[in-house]
Amino acid sequence: MDARSHERQRQAHHGLVTAAGAGVLVLAALSLVVAVAGGLLRACPAPAPPTLPAWLLSGAVSHAALMICGFLGTVVGMERAVAARKPLAFVAPLASACGAALLILGEQGAGSLAIMVAAGTFVLVNVRIVRRQPAAHTALLLLGAVSWLTGSVMYAAGTGAPIPWWFAFLVMTVAAERLEMTRLTRRAPHAELQLCGTMALLVAGAALSSATVTLATTGTGLFGVSLVLLALWLFRHDIARRTIFSDGLSRYMAICLLTGYCWLAVSGIGWIGLAAGLPLRDMALHALGLGFIVGMMMAHAPVILPALTRIRLRFGLLFYLPLLALHVSLMVRIGFGAPYPLQRGIGALLNAGALILFAATVVGAAIAWRLSQRHPSRQETL
Amino acid sequence: MITSAPLPQQQTTEPYPYAGPVELRSPIETALRRVVDPEVAMSIVDVGLVYGVQVDARQVRVLVTMTSAACPVVDVIIDDIWAELSRVVPESLTLDVELVWEPPWMPARMSDSAKRIMGW
Repeated sequence: MDARSHERQRQAHHGLVTAAGAGVLVLAALSLVVAVAGGLLRACPAPAPPTLPAWLLSGAVSHAALMICGFLGTVVGMERAVAARKPLAFVAPLASACGAALLILGEQGAGSLAIMVAAGTFVLVNVRIVRRQPAAHTALLLLGAVSWLTGSVMYAAGTGAPIPWWFAFLVMTVAAERLEMTRLTRRAPHAELQLCGTMALLVAGAALSSATVTLATTGTGLFGVSLVLLALWLFRHDIARRTIFSDGLSRYMAICLLTGYCWLAVSGIGWIGLAAGLPLRDMALHALGLGFIVGMMMAHAPVILPALTRIRLRFGLLFYLPLLALHVSLMVRIGFGAPYPLQRGIGALLNAGALILFAATVVGAAIAWRLSQRHPSRQETL
Repeated sequence: MITSAPLPQQQTTEPYPYAGPVELRSPIETALRRVVDPEVAMSIVDVGLVYGVQVDARQVRVLVTMTSAACPVVDVIIDDIWAELSRVVPESLTLDVELVWEPPWMPARMSDSAKRIMGW
């Protein structure tokens, strides 16, 4: 029974959405590339050459803003806009992508304002989602959005400590999504309450980080404690403990998640060490940003990329290679507390290699899927 | 879109309410079971996302929900439903996959096998 006409109608329905989002995603990818290049410049133990391209200097100066707001904020904003199914919701990722472009061009003021607009719009999108489904996980998504906005207001005003707030945005986004998935299991009675307490600590830590020096140290410590507690909560309650015994993509995702939770705990220890005066800044920031957040990105990319771009991927064991590369490169970077600048530099270079390997794997998986469509007998798609 | 009809609770014998020709019941259910939620590797029928199927002389209407209103893969899942139904539904019938949020999805909607996998 051939019903290809149905399929044609459906494809046409989504063509416009894909075209509108493509430019935004290209800017997000550009933000990632410049942020990584800028990060490598910052991690380089050798003195920088006297003349460097302006975009590379922008990447170094705005590394965190480009990585968290320009890339991850745009992708998360796109995800939420797709879920909200309202064209106006795409204003948030559009604004953060434009903000990233402005930062790369060296327009710090306009770029930070655009990011603030993005975060503000993102809050409104999440209010809509809470109204549609009033639940603990949607409320936590909203709190994450408010954290992004708080950090972005500080960034635009040039005051306070935006980075803990920006990280709180990402951590809460992941925590909310994992909390939602725990509904598929028989959840322990106090699990939700425990997570709420942990998130309250996270917010307190981020808030105190912008206070006076003594309180900021306490805030950094609280932030670290909350990350460790969240890692323990995720190990205890996440469905990845069960889906790791499935196969294919589900198992891969579970492995990404569980290994990411290890880095979350490592990062928490780093933040606590930082509060105690130990030189663990790189460990605190990059075990969280790369080990946990990028680990989550690697887990969900095979599912999210088709949702955002309509490009399907054929999952294969090769996806484990960049994941392994990410973990090994992070061990090199922050192993033994990373006392040597050269060690950090090499680790950072290997981190970038892991990201490039992941991008290549995704491109290969997209090509493999297209080829499998020409040979239907070999179809094993996502 | 047609206004959603009242939706009964999940039953162990019938995964979702079906109204329409008997000969299409099984092919449609098989098609829907091929649509998988990738993270949990379970079909949308087992997760309890299908709220009902109605077939009349003109169209096949499927009511589905998501576990989360913030779920970005909603369009991918709806696309998959369209693709799978297109294989089994006669061309003379149009397809209508409607996303609904009422009643909210609850774990009780999961099939017995899905619950077993998830440790219930």
